[in-house]
Amino acid sequence: MSDHHDSPDATISARVRTIESRLEQLGLLDPRELDQAMAAFLSHASVGNGARVVARAWVDEGFRKRLLEDANAALPELGLSMSGGIRDQRLKVVPNTDSEHNVIVCTLCSCYPVALLGPSPTWYKSESYRSRVVREPRAVLHDFGYDVDPRMHITVWDANAETRYMVLPQRPADSAGLGEDELAQLVSRDGMIGVAPV
Amino acid sequence: MQPGISWMSRTTMADELRPGDVVETPRTDPPHHTRVPRYARGATGTVVDFEGEHPLPDNRARGIATAPESVYTVRFAGDQLFDGTDHDIVLSMWRSYLTKKADDE
Amino acid sequence: MGRINDVGGMQGFPSIAREDDEPAFHADWEAHVFAINRALLARGLYNLDEFRDAIERMSPQDYLAASYYERWLHGVTTLLVEKGVLAAGDLVDVAHDHG
Repeated sequence: MSDHHDSPDATISARVRTIESRLEQLGLLDPRELDQAMAAFLSHASVGNGARVVARAWVDEGFRKRLLEDANAALPELGLSMSGGIRDQRLKVVPNTDSEHNVIVCTLCSCYPVALLGPSPTWYKSESYRSRVVREPRAVLHDFGYDVDPRMHITVWDANAETRYMVLPQRPADSAGLGEDELAQLVSRDGMIGVAPV
Repeated sequence: MQPGISWMSRTTMADELRPGDVVETPRTDPPHHTRVPRYARGATGTVVDFEGEHPLPDNRARGIATAPESVYTVRFAGDQLFDGTDHDIVLSMWRSYLTKKADDE
Repeated sequence: MGRINDVGGMQGFPSIAREDDEPAFHADWEAHVFAINRALLARGLYNLDEFRDAIERMSPQDYLAASYYERWLHGVTTLLVEKGVLAAGDLVDVAHDHG
């Protein structure tokens, strides 16, 4: 908390406290409910979940097939689900291939597969990303340090409804012999958004 | 997910869309909340998947009671939307947003 | 829609800035706004579409100047006032100027 009483953060902080206590007075908020919501959000929603999904898909062809066909039905095989959010969401996993690269965005707001990737980064929610990636995805990926082969076709998935997308990156060529846990370590959040190769 | 009837049995129902159907998005801007982005207005795309049934957000945002309707995944060629692009963009579209183009168009 | 949130394809925004290992919330108040919104949605005070609509109705200047959770706070307070849960006067505890 800031100790500069006229800083914007302190002002907003005070405003939020005012609203919170008013809502508690009205019986519309329970302070314990708030703590629970925050703890649940931060503990269950994590990028490790998505990485496990990817690693499993890399080693288990049957799981990969099921994941691509009906991701919501496949997640429980790993003890995962898309619930825990405001509404249960439909998950669609989109696979990168030798000819196809995928990248996800929510141009209208910030829809994101939080359950599998954790809280979204600020850049994903920024006008800069949301405006540009639908118009020039190659240039955006270049700025992220990833130059997609010019022969690869790109699909941009704009999550404007109940579906949340996650990219299934290609397994790195030099990863043979690695176990599932080690493979999961290779998977990055940016790879599952599509702004990195893996 | 959506229990009950599969997409294939749904697509025999009148007004439902099927994979491969060519569709058009609305041209005009409404004065209210909607989930058609302006860059995809008046565009032609192809239905590729069925996402389930959900109430139209345009109505839900205004407190207008509304029944769930089909939501489809629609793929657009990028050069439909932005000059000189070679990528595709995929969006979800509620049935109410879409006009099916006649088979002979 | 001609609303400011509808930025797909819009040109002229600054280059994408990234922060390594950023936390979910950059200040306590952000976490509180997150949790308040969750609780009010769960209680059915408003729905997610109304919440998005409330944010989209921010003026373009306010929207672009606001951080992500500042927008959420705006959405929450707008709906609380419009639904008659809070009076506009309930919201002002300290003087502030937000342009």
